[in-house]
Amino acid sequence: MLPQFSYVRPETLKDTVKHLNVPGAAAHAGGTDLIGCLRDGIMQVNKVVSLNALPDLHGIRETADGGLLIGAMTTITEVSESPLVRRKYPGLAQGASEVAGPQLRNQGTIGGNLCQKPRCWYYRGEFNCLRKGGDNCYALDGEHLFHAIFGHDRICVITHPSDTAPPLVALGAKVRIIGPEGKRTIPVANLHVSPADNVRAETVRKQGEVITHIELPRPPENLRSSYRKVRARRSWDFALAGVALALEMDGDRVNKSRVVLSGAAPVPWRSQPVENAISNRRLNAETIEKAARAVVEGADPLPGNMYKLDLFKGLIEEELYTVSRELR
Amino acid sequence: MAEDGTIYYTNGLPVPDTPAPGEEPEFWKETDVVGKRTPRVDAYERVSGTAVYPSDIKLPNMIYGAILRCPHAHAKVKKVDAGRAEKMPGVRALITGDSPEAGGLKWKYRGYSGPLFDAHCRFEGEVVAAVAADTPYQAWDAVHAIDVEYDVLPHVVDHNLALTGKAPEVHDQGNLAGTDEYERGDVAGGFAEADVVLEQNYETGCQLHTPMELHGCVADWEGDRLTIWESSQGVYAVQSVLSGILGMPLSKVRVIGHYMGGGFGSKLWPGKYTVLAALMAKQAARPVKMILTREETFLCVGNRPPNTMRLKAGVKKDGTLTAFDFECIGPSGAYPGGGTEIVDWLVRDLYQCDNVRCLSRDVYIHAGTARPFRAPGHPQGSWALEQMMDDLAEKIGMDPIELRLKNIPSISQGRGIPYTRTGLKDCIERGAERFGWKDAVKRAREQNRSGSHIKRGVGMGACLWIVGGGGPPSTVVIKLFRDGSVNLNMGASDIGTGTKTIMAMVAAEELGVKPDVIQIEHADTGTTQYATPSGGSKTVPTEAPTVRNAAIDVKRQIIQMAAEDLGAPAVDLDYEGSEIVSMKDKSKRIQVTDVSGLKKRGVVIGVGYRGPNPKNKSVNPFAAQFCELEVNTKTGEMKILRFLGAHDSGRVMNRLTYDNQVFGGIVMGIGFGMTEFRQLDANQTGKLCNRNWHDYKLPTALDVPVDMESLPIEIDDPEANNTGAKGLGEPVTIPTASAIANALYMATGIRFTKAPVHPMEMRRRLSAGKEG
Amino acid sequence: MRTIGAGAVSASLTGAAMVAESKPGPPEKILDATDTVKLKLNINGVNYAVLVEPRWTLLFVLREAIGLTGTKEGCGRGECGACTVLIDDIPRYACMTLAVEAEGRRITTIEGLMTGEELGPVQKAFLEEDAFQCGYCTPGQVMAVEGLLRKTPEPSMDEIRTGVSGNLCRCGAYHHIFRAARKAAIRKTR
Repeated sequence: MLPQFSYVRPETLKDTVKHLNVPGAAAHAGGTDLIGCLRDGIMQVNKVVSLNALPDLHGIRETADGGLLIGAMTTITEVSESPLVRRKYPGLAQGASEVAGPQLRNQGTIGGNLCQKPRCWYYRGEFNCLRKGGDNCYALDGEHLFHAIFGHDRICVITHPSDTAPPLVALGAKVRIIGPEGKRTIPVANLHVSPADNVRAETVRKQGEVITHIELPRPPENLRSSYRKVRARRSWDFALAGVALALEMDGDRVNKSRVVLSGAAPVPWRSQPVENAISNRRLNAETIEKAARAVVEGADPLPGNMYKLDLFKGLIEEELYTVSRELR
Repeated sequence: MAEDGTIYYTNGLPVPDTPAPGEEPEFWKETDVVGKRTPRVDAYERVSGTAVYPSDIKLPNMIYGAILRCPHAHAKVKKVDAGRAEKMPGVRALITGDSPEAGGLKWKYRGYSGPLFDAHCRFEGEVVAAVAADTPYQAWDAVHAIDVEYDVLPHVVDHNLALTGKAPEVHDQGNLAGTDEYERGDVAGGFAEADVVLEQNYETGCQLHTPMELHGCVADWEGDRLTIWESSQGVYAVQSVLSGILGMPLSKVRVIGHYMGGGFGSKLWPGKYTVLAALMAKQAARPVKMILTREETFLCVGNRPPNTMRLKAGVKKDGTLTAFDFECIGPSGAYPGGGTEIVDWLVRDLYQCDNVRCLSRDVYIHAGTARPFRAPGHPQGSWALEQMMDDLAEKIGMDPIELRLKNIPSISQGRGIPYTRTGLKDCIERGAERFGWKDAVKRAREQNRSGSHIKRGVGMGACLWIVGGGGPPSTVVIKLFRDGSVNLNMGASDIGTGTKTIMAMVAAEELGVKPDVIQIEHADTGTTQYATPSGGSKTVPTEAPTVRNAAIDVKRQIIQMAAEDLGAPAVDLDYEGSEIVSMKDKSKRIQVTDVSGLKKRGVVIGVGYRGPNPKNKSVNPFAAQFCELEVNTKTGEMKILRFLGAHDSGRVMNRLTYDNQVFGGIVMGIGFGMTEFRQLDANQTGKLCNRNWHDYKLPTALDVPVDMESLPIEIDDPEANNTGAKGLGEPVTIPTASAIANALYMATGIRFTKAPVHPMEMRRRLSAGKEG
Repeated sequence: MRTIGAGAVSASLTGAAMVAESKPGPPEKILDATDTVKLKLNINGVNYAVLVEPRWTLLFVLREAIGLTGTKEGCGRGECGACTVLIDDIPRYACMTLAVEAEGRRITTIEGLMTGEELGPVQKAFLEEDAFQCGYCTPGQVMAVEGLLRKTPEPSMDEIRTGVSGNLCRCGAYHHIFRAARKAAIRKTR
């Protein structure tokens, strides 16, 4: 059952920011994550600020330079089914289509998907864990089958739950943020916060700040983007391991690449070792093997999630072979 | 009322002969209604949303209950301060262990008796206090405002540690809840004569029932009379438990459970929540609706206990099984719950083997108490036995199907008496043929040689279910109205298996009326007849013969009445469609609805009782299931391509709901084998990690194959009961996981001895190799 | 007294009724956490005025305040689909939707698929194909299929499976649900 909160549905961004700029205020976009968080009591919210009456935050349109501007309130379903997205950034469309289940995609928004709270069962459960203000990360010494192998610094081992963030990072997307101090635009790659920087926050948004739009740059020539997700169950589930690829191809040669992993780290995890292994190389068996080995470089798995090492290797191998097969 | 006395009859339908008083009815040779694909009599209510489940009940002045539960695996309650909560808006009732209402009340479950509020909390989820308020939101606000001081104590939640001597004791008498030993023949001698002896350890995960409808009830007092609407598998069982705890006569406790949203064994009895609802309803003098939250149902309403098993088996080169030695340990939970109950039954009974030894040790741990779960013990035992059978077959170079067929027992060895009928051989043989076993094996082997990282496997498992023949007691009343329409009155619950529909079909078959004019009253201790809970796959074999007996009682009375009208002796008369006809003089006939006795009385009441089961014979359903799947050896992902279930459950009563049961059992077995496991935070808090349907994963529409086939193996079993029906709901989920495991072995060459095999486990084992 | 007895809509209206308008009101008017507010909802083509707290979900309002109990609660956390309703023809979870958020939208529940006492085509197909067992997830499954067919009148088997992949059935009646969805699609397009 949900605790008590006040509710307001402003019509302007200015008012929205004003309402959000107090401790205990939370933005309600689709509500699919917020309602769950309130039910589980994982944060103190005394005011819910609905974004549903705001104009201009909804929809997908092509920008003058050939990129896309996606309103933060656009639903995941709309992103996954948009012909524009599918044509220009299939990786994002695939990421969106892998989110949760159909009803949650119909309700959840792209902005909300980027700002989700983690799904660690200790964090969501009745455990006063580090991220909630407690003293330790229960998952580290406890049950961490689904947890991170990168970037946790043994502080907090959540994985970032988003399936749209990895493709957005790979595609070089940016988010527009509005807040008490005005507007700013930052790369999605810089949106999320690692535990070492701040274990109590998931994004760099400050109090009162809200994401309004996602900007996607014009896709480069011969861009090949994709998202592939491995999960324990085929619906509702978050990634055990996932990979978003954005490859700029020249024949069978990868000119530039961006490779971002999900299910890997507390933030969408850019895998520079894989990028280094494939960029400026022909995508042949040797390259793919190197890339597969590279994907686990620097990993710090825990006793219960060692399986993720070979899973990521296998995933990279399979995905890159798929790309190389398409080239033939 | 209809003018035409025949409109409710299926015209031209012959009806079975009416046995003379004291005689048993003949076994139906052919049936006209029974067995056909018949949509459910209550389908309209269920698809329109008009079916009223207990959680849909709303009474005037009703308030809502919520329960404060112990958040620790093991703790003692030192102090409960409800002062703040009592004063909160909307709060109308509040009860704790200190409340006078709770004083002296004992909770009873499976032989255990202890205080309703036990300050010594032995599992996370034990009740500490309860509140009822105008809205459930307010009730929960108040629950959160109750301050409790706990003394948190050390816990043990791993059943493998419970008996090591290092674990804290759950009860004063120690952690051993019970031991069960069984032996026949000469086990050592059996192993000595074997050509191959294999030994393997197996583990199965803890599966939670999580039916779609939450556990809960509505409690309402009228003076000293209590009415409970409970989401339940058996209203009489709820009545009995409540009257015992509350010290009330059975007649003053009315339990109603017309519709219920699934139970799978977890709703055979009421919960403490039912008692708390009743107590708070009394306190507030208002009806209380107490529906648990989904999270609570993961903690305190039962589970299929996890089991650790060891099986040693001997076989001769010709496939003769020489010995089984089986050992198993499993947790009841905090209180007696059957942690290892009948896990060993398949080892004892399924395959011909003269020398068998079984040892089961049931232990206490600081976690929720087990409850029967769809075929208790059997999927676990099957997980060990069926994988072992495949391993033995491989070692002696025999096809796994051949090995099983070689060892079909002629009697129930576990009981030492014959089966009435056994379809085990037919299930395996005909199932394999329909599945295309040989071709499928060939296809899989070819693919696995091709070098693709997608490997393919086929596997099978066979089973029986320990009971499934039903039996007394049961009473059913059938009312024949003067227009020929019928009312069927029985106490049994329809837990989703289609019981009501089958009973209507039985009555229709016997009386010649159309099934859709049969009105059914059921599952109400105030107005319907005694029945045991719907569980154990016994509802149809228990109730169907009872319904038949009630219908025959109606027919006998009508014949008696018609004898007066026709001036012919009753012994000469019998039903012919909608008429009573003299067998000696066919011109003497009368419409049932014209029988003056019926017209005068308005209604004729027939009473049926469930007769005894055959003496010294065992009634069991049998099955074999077959599975084909693929494994992605890079990622560990698995895809089940198809499943076939060949089931001998005696007569198929309704083909439509029969197939649905088979498919549903397979889906649940897929969950047991591949997706579901309770995760306790064993090394730190002992608390439950996965208490929702995201973290505890049921199979979804995308996790089950589109290609599923049900192949009924219908064998006449007149000895079982007068309808020939045997249980179905449980065998359908027994061999599913083992069939999957055997298919995974073919695909990967890895023996998956630990269930469930989810992609994480698959990937781990692919990396660790065959030994891992 | 500010509390609302379910069904007995007797509470006084102390909160500002700003969300009673179909257009959201000015932002400075906050619905207080402890107040109830009058809310207009359009459900199955009928307008309802109910008093709600900001925290009440659409599911709670449908079932306990209005009495439309066809929509079921299975988890209250967006993990089972038993509460699926259509909002502007799109399947959503009523348990994850605040009632105040449903204002001004077209809500369709299982009761709304009926024509009088007559079952709708999807319901009929579920009946004929025995696409349920205990029936508790069924209204949600029916609504998911209804939503699917409104958007994709001739779905493939994969689209059907995906369409109901946000709806658990613990009885495991999926196979028959697929068949019912296919049958309903054929009937609806014919």
